[in-house]
Amino acid sequence: MASAFRWSKPLLGDVLVILVGLIFVTCLFKALWHNEHAAKLQIRLGDKIYATYSLDQNRNIDIQGPIGITRIVIANGKARFASSPCPNQYCVHQGWLSHKGQAAICLPNQVSLELLGGEKPFDSLNY
Amino acid sequence: MRFLVLLFALILSACGKEPLVQTKSYVFGTLVDISIYGETEDKAHEVTTHILQDFQRLHHQYHAWQSDSELSKLNQTFANGKRPVEISPELAQMLMQAQVLSKKSQGLFNPAIGSLIGAWGFQRDEFTPIEINDLAIQKLVQSNPQMSDIVIKGNTAFSKNPAVKLDLGGYAKGYALDLALVELQKKGVKNALVNIGGNIIALGQHGDKPWRVGIQHPRQPKPMATLDLPSGWAIGTSGDYQRYFEKDGKRYCHIIDPRSGYPAQSTQAVTVLIPASPQAGVLSDVASKPIFLSAPDQRANAAKAMGVEHYLVVDAEGKVMLSASMNQRVHWLAKPATIVMQ
Repeated sequence: MASAFRWSKPLLGDVLVILVGLIFVTCLFKALWHNEHAAKLQIRLGDKIYATYSLDQNRNIDIQGPIGITRIVIANGKARFASSPCPNQYCVHQGWLSHKGQAAICLPNQVSLELLGGEKPFDSLNY
Repeated sequence: MRFLVLLFALILSACGKEPLVQTKSYVFGTLVDISIYGETEDKAHEVTTHILQDFQRLHHQYHAWQSDSELSKLNQTFANGKRPVEISPELAQMLMQAQVLSKKSQGLFNPAIGSLIGAWGFQRDEFTPIEINDLAIQKLVQSNPQMSDIVIKGNTAFSKNPAVKLDLGGYAKGYALDLALVELQKKGVKNALVNIGGNIIALGQHGDKPWRVGIQHPRQPKPMATLDLPSGWAIGTSGDYQRYFEKDGKRYCHIIDPRSGYPAQSTQAVTVLIPASPQAGVLSDVASKPIFLSAPDQRANAAKAMGVEHYLVVDAEGKVMLSASMNQRVHWLAKPATIVMQ
């Protein structure tokens, strides 16, 4: 059976459509693909912000939640759940968070972590 | 078709990022953040790697509590008596610079009090409360270690006082900034911003605007102000909010008053802005300490003694005081309730 479809030389319009598509996708990729290292860790307990810590300083944070104490560790610009009283330990298995926008949640103990980055009105921070 | 390819390339470059290459890493137990503007990515990475290697070397060579560092070995010989020992030309130069600055500060900048810093638990990677041993602290203060106890002849050094134990924690980051600036210029980089644990030095500018830095609020997780850092200028802050521990509701920060042996309590933060000079980095690190440790009515004198014109103080109550020249340069993001001009 002979196909009705036949390859022909692409017309200017075809090329333009492909080009615009490529440009659009590339720009989207650049605009939305965050690979930035985070600067701060925001911890929520229940519906409140419990604390916001800089990722610059290593520390352990123990938080008393509804079912016990959750330990969060900040080390070398990363943060993670180190231990949790929850039964399934999903939060601990999430491992290290290091990039802006990453988050980990422990539903049973109502603790959540989110890494914040810098949409900043300056180039670097003096502290 | 060729025209289209060209157009495509043009549009792509327009939606791409500006030529800023930023690298973050960890040296000196803190975050090091190097931004290079206007160079190719390869060049920027090459220069950054080189600078980071320099920083690593400084970190290991002058580490205050790793026993195999050049500094620790020197501390050991200081403790053992007055026998001169050979030191690197670089360390000799650093110690002489630190001696001059310590004298200027009337001993408030005193890198010889390593034993006190250790006694307060700040020669560790994390800061947990310690048992405060008042008697031991008193004894360490009485042993009176001073930078002037160190005698440097050529590339040898000895200490007249065995209590001298060097900790360059308030100096080395600034020294590293000055070194980085020289390195950047040597490699032909025109625009860069180097941040070591909050101490920043600028070279050139960020595109058509000066480099802009934020000044951290000492009690809130956000900057309180920004200012433009001209080429060659450096900024440094001493604060009680990065390295500290809390015990019985009281905050003990890592900035220890060599006179009393106890952490300073009358200040939250001191920021100094240092104009371009070969030791701008060092001054940005060192000069904030004497102001931080001074009584409220002595801060202006301490700044003057260190040759600092631009400074900003947040006192224990959160009240902001700043010099007139500093006031002209800061842009408040969260304007403090009270600002006192000095």
